Amino acid sequence: MSSKKLVTDGRPARNKEGKAREHAPFLFLLPALLVVFAVLIFPIIFSLIVSTFDWPLSEGAGARRFVGLGNYIGLTKDPEFWNSLKLQLGFIFVAIPLELLLGFAAALLLNREFFGARLVRSLLLLPVFFLPILSGMTWRFMLQPRYGPLNALLLKLGAPEITWLGNPVTAYIAIIIQDIWRMWPFMFMLLYAGLTAIPQEMIEAAEIDGAGFWKKLRSVIIPLLTPTILTAILLRIIDALRVFSEVYVMTEGGPGTSTMLFSLYTHRQAFGYQKVGMASSMAIFLLILSIVFALTLVRKNMSLDVLEEKAGG
Amino acid sequence: MKKALFMLLLAVAMVGMVSAQTINVLFWDDAYPRTLMERIPEFEKATGIKVNFEILQPPQVFTKTSVAVGKDKTDYDLVCVDEGNIPLFASLMLPYDQWAPGKVFKKVDPSTVTPAMLDVAQWDGKLIGLPINGNLYVWMTRKDLIENPKYKAEFKAQYGYDLGVPQTLQQMLDMGTYFYKNGIVSGGFGPFNGGPAGVFGEAIFMWESFGTHFIDYVNGKPKLVVDKAKAVQGMEFYKKLMAISPKGAETMAHVERQAAFCADPKGVFTQFIWPAQIASYEDPDKSLAAGKIVYSAPPSGPAGRFAIRGTWAVNIPLASKNKDAAAEFVYWWASKDIATWLVEKNTVPARTDALTNPKFAASKPWLAAIADSMKYAAARPRFKEVAQVQDIVKKYWIMGITGQMPTADAMQKIMDETQDVLKKAGY
Amino acid sequence: MKKRTRTILTSTIIAIVAFLVLIIELYPIGITIVNGFRRDIIILSGQPFKLSQLTTRSYELVLKNPGFQLGMKNSIIIGLLSTGISVLIGAMASYGIARFRFGWRNSLAYSFLVFRMLPQISLVIALYLMFTNLGIRDTVGGITLAHTSFNVPYVIWLLLPFFTAVDKAYEEAAMVDGASRMGVFFRIFLPIVAPGLVVAAVFAFLNSWNEFLYALILTGVKAKTAPIAINGLIGGETLTWGQVCAAGTLMLVPVFIFTLGMQKFLIRGITAGGVKG
Repeated sequence: MSSKKLVTDGRPARNKEGKAREHAPFLFLLPALLVVFAVLIFPIIFSLIVSTFDWPLSEGAGARRFVGLGNYIGLTKDPEFWNSLKLQLGFIFVAIPLELLLGFAAALLLNREFFGARLVRSLLLLPVFFLPILSGMTWRFMLQPRYGPLNALLLKLGAPEITWLGNPVTAYIAIIIQDIWRMWPFMFMLLYAGLTAIPQEMIEAAEIDGAGFWKKLRSVIIPLLTPTILTAILLRIIDALRVFSEVYVMTEGGPGTSTMLFSLYTHRQAFGYQKVGMASSMAIFLLILSIVFALTLVRKNMSLDVLEEKAGG
Repeated sequence: MKKALFMLLLAVAMVGMVSAQTINVLFWDDAYPRTLMERIPEFEKATGIKVNFEILQPPQVFTKTSVAVGKDKTDYDLVCVDEGNIPLFASLMLPYDQWAPGKVFKKVDPSTVTPAMLDVAQWDGKLIGLPINGNLYVWMTRKDLIENPKYKAEFKAQYGYDLGVPQTLQQMLDMGTYFYKNGIVSGGFGPFNGGPAGVFGEAIFMWESFGTHFIDYVNGKPKLVVDKAKAVQGMEFYKKLMAISPKGAETMAHVERQAAFCADPKGVFTQFIWPAQIASYEDPDKSLAAGKIVYSAPPSGPAGRFAIRGTWAVNIPLASKNKDAAAEFVYWWASKDIATWLVEKNTVPARTDALTNPKFAASKPWLAAIADSMKYAAARPRFKEVAQVQDIVKKYWIMGITGQMPTADAMQKIMDETQDVLKKAGY
Repeated sequence: MKKRTRTILTSTIIAIVAFLVLIIELYPIGITIVNGFRRDIIILSGQPFKLSQLTTRSYELVLKNPGFQLGMKNSIIIGLLSTGISVLIGAMASYGIARFRFGWRNSLAYSFLVFRMLPQISLVIALYLMFTNLGIRDTVGGITLAHTSFNVPYVIWLLLPFFTAVDKAYEEAAMVDGASRMGVFFRIFLPIVAPGLVVAAVFAFLNSWNEFLYALILTGVKAKTAPIAINGLIGGETLTWGQVCAAGTLMLVPVFIFTLGMQKFLIRGITAGGVKG
């Protein structure tokens, strides 16, 4: 930063448009700042205000009432809140490591040329872009007992007939499998890119030293890939914190509340129970959680300076 | 000159006001309002009132009404309210006795509404709007299955009485068990998914059938009055029914129940239906069971026969500026002509004279069953916090009937958590 | 020779495994596409697949469905509008960050990055109340604005690497000739980074195209998008699986064309600012 000079430094135009230049960045940034204020910052402030009220969605339910931190205290006493938080964290901590593992394995497997390698690598990415609601619906359909194709397949393989979405445990497993199915190729994509960026000489050097596959993995590949892996995990965590539509169409949080992830419960509080204030306090809670993860990601893995150095300054 | 100009302006303004009157109406999405929409141009022509209608899935109707209808402001001049939500919105709606007398169409006498349905719009001793459809539990049994000679003979030999339309829950269990052994299921009983209201209906159905109310109004406040022993009996019985229902019955929403009943090549013995959906079950394009269904009132339990009601009322918000035009629209909709035509189109309005019109008796076998069910109509308890209680019942009812939790424990949970909600709400 | 045989053998085995994984992975997508060509009643009665079942009936029904027609139309309009606005505003902001040095530059850039990662559910309730009060709920403008909220920060970070890679000499030369900053940006700079703008536009469009939660809450009847219309197909009276799959396949066409056509930029697209450099 310090080594960089103002773009127009030392140019003849300096004196003539000195004043205009000072305002230039502001002019360029103004529209974005306006949008961000209107649809991001203001709603956050508004949520904060709403979260201190007992705020029924309908006026028929009674008047709005200031309750201070009442909603936040209410949350700590609500077992369903803790349940949804537990489910949400479980979802993250089960799905993401498995996605990482699968993605890493596939990246290692496909990091070489063979007939059709490029085709496989491209098509493998399609699920990442499959519409989330379609994904949820397709899984709901595939897991249906009588006519669901996946269920039929499992039956043929000798598995007992399970009502996947009817049992709290299997339904929870099902929404996790859905997520893994859709998002492990995301991990694959990042890790594959990371792998191809490792200089071939480093791997060859290890081979000359007589390193076997595992040794190579441990001493060369993993250390070099660690930044990529961390970034991928953080991106996935941030993304998984806001899971809504897939699960909404797949189970609607059921059976009971066994797949009621955080977003779904917030939605239910606001639009089912009409408790907008309570829902806003949940929204703020999730917001803080996300910002913590996002800041971690930003601090660790992103830097404007690196971006510019890479661009050659 | 000035005066003449002023008069002219006034006249123009008045004509403008009259001719440009528009009402905004919010409908729920099913075959019934969709059918009605075909005739709306006639209403517009007859009255000069333009109807802007929106049609949404029931949960969205609820949310939208919540936000769009306030004390002083409303986006709609006419809304539909599901019976369970009447308490929530009652204070925002114009009581029916204050609705204008009709100009083009006559104000509908509430006594034309089937008595079992009229109750839907009653709140705090007042009629808040007009019930508009006739929706309550009706039973369906597959005719070809109960008339199959082989099944008939075998069943009689095993159980000692005739196979037929189940008259009691016990008969339904006997017959269903018999069919189950022959590879035929009895259609999942409740709509368990797609909103908790369906499960709540099933639970109330069983509790009432086994002799207990769930929540009653005591001194104007909702109070938990359930008799745990009887409630557990109802739940236990339902658990037995689940054993003969299709796999995954506990995950089915309306659409999946329909898929199960209509698309199972082996046929499904019996199942309940909301009459609002009959049109789809009788559509050969969507249903393998079309034309093969016998309709009846629900089977009775030890404490009697109950048909759970699920009806919509139409209401005019107090804040509406077009109350008279909205009322006019309702009078047209609930008129004998339109109601009769709606019956002809396989939908179910709330007018007695349309539902009992003899000209439909032969072609629409469900009408007699609906009329029969009306005699046993039972309502789900309603109060402002009903959404939360529904979720509680849904959660533990399913755990109880699928064996994930002993029924007595599940019932205890329902009671404890419901009590908690009522307490927090200040009752 | 022996070593070569072994290499070929390994390659073959890996190719077979890779294709197997691919087939399993794409199975759900394949099912969706195939079922779009089968009738609802055949799907729901669990009949095994036969070629003779194939029909375009579900497509005909879906294309005639006024709800889906409107949803598609809205999705395209909202997608294009929010993409256009976001790319314009985002490119300006990105340029501001890439080319100027000012005190709050870093914190501003990182704030945009954090904004891109906020959960929608945290914002949507407030947006709902705001939009209702302003009367822009269930309008194309309202939902476009909501989509802009995640697309602007996204575009800013997606474009940064493209922008920093451009040599400043071009602009400096133009400014020596007396052109204004804005003029330079629009006439000189944007054409140079056109490829980056296309990438940003494609991904911003996909973000909007796939979006569900905002549309669910902030639209109703008039401005509903295609995902909401598809959701309505199973939420209504009948389980119209064939139609859901047909509608879904139609939605997937642009998604897959863009995905496969944009191979080179996929990583930038989905991580936008998430990977070093």
